[in-house]
Amino acid sequence: MGCEYCEIAAGNSKSLILHQDAEIVVAVKDTSVIPGQITVFPTEHHPIMELVPDNILQKCSIMANKVSVAIFEGLDTTGTNVIIQNGTAAGQNRPHFAIEIIPRRENDGLDFQWPQKQLTEDELGYLFNELTEDVPEEKPAIKPKKVSGKDNYLLKSLKRKA
Amino acid sequence: MPNPPELTPEQQKELQEKLKNMSPEELQEFQKQQCIFCQIVSGKIPSKKIYEDEKVIAILDINPAAKGHLLLLPKEHYSIMPQIPDEDLSHLFLIAKQLSKKMLQKMKVAGTSIFIANGLAAGQRAQHFMIHIIPRKQGDGVLPLNEQLQDKEMLQNIKTAVQPKLLNQLGIKQKEPAVEKTPKSQKEEKEEDNDVNLDDIANLFK
Repeated sequence: MGCEYCEIAAGNSKSLILHQDAEIVVAVKDTSVIPGQITVFPTEHHPIMELVPDNILQKCSIMANKVSVAIFEGLDTTGTNVIIQNGTAAGQNRPHFAIEIIPRRENDGLDFQWPQKQLTEDELGYLFNELTEDVPEEKPAIKPKKVSGKDNYLLKSLKRKA
Repeated sequence: MPNPPELTPEQQKELQEKLKNMSPEELQEFQKQQCIFCQIVSGKIPSKKIYEDEKVIAILDINPAAKGHLLLLPKEHYSIMPQIPDEDLSHLFLIAKQLSKKMLQKMKVAGTSIFIANGLAAGQRAQHFMIHIIPRKQGDGVLPLNEQLQDKEMLQNIKTAVQPKLLNQLGIKQKEPAVEKTPKSQKEEKEEDNDVNLDDIANLFK
């Protein structure tokens, strides 16, 4: 089955296109959380944000901002939410990276506020260490202390080569 | 987020008088002084900084949606996204991508949500623009987006209302013989008259 957003880009969809060029599509999908929601996505198929080339992501962000202004002006709203659901665990339900821009008004029935967790200083300290530490590019090949006798010769020779 | 100290009615009155007499530049400066996140940027209020460069910082949210929830903010004080220059906004998104990647690798989560609220109606709490980067796990109930099918006429109405404004933003002139079949001239004229002033939305925070 084809990708829904690739189909929109190809013009095979009930969704309406507001703007399209070689790199970006701006569309009103036929489904939305509230009427007026507009979707910005790269023309090329990239499943998640981490796989979108930097220059395309930058263009998508600038376009999302312009769409947000166009929603303020065209739909006379007093707010917008800009949301990226990145990965199925985040609720992403189409395998194509997209930025959603959702018009907001007072008492519109939408509520995106999450229950806030309270973290202890220890938890904050732990998270700080986790996220500030550099991600190792390559996993260390060997953990010398856990090596069984059988692998010793091979690992020693690998160490020597390294 | 820490709350500003309560003011007595006399102090409030005095403050309102002061605000009335300020020039736009003075008002902007005043907003910056009052902004908790500007004080976090300058280091007056301590925070757990995960990333910093000359334009942006990312800090751990102390009341997060999930452990590891980050707030990415421009060092410059902007209330809402439309005030941010393209170059700075696209830089913010690039850093968001890097931080999201780091989160996927280090927090052992299978997804991230990027969330921005523009304006009080959108649930914006702080007067300083920020991008939330939230680690996500299946079934955590954070940010549910329940999409519903919209009818064809509604889609067309939205296109008619938003497309001219977007093309205007992009500097693209729309061809006169409009493709849309729905009558729009009267509605459009009305809308031209009451264009939204983005400063009003941004200034709701003062």
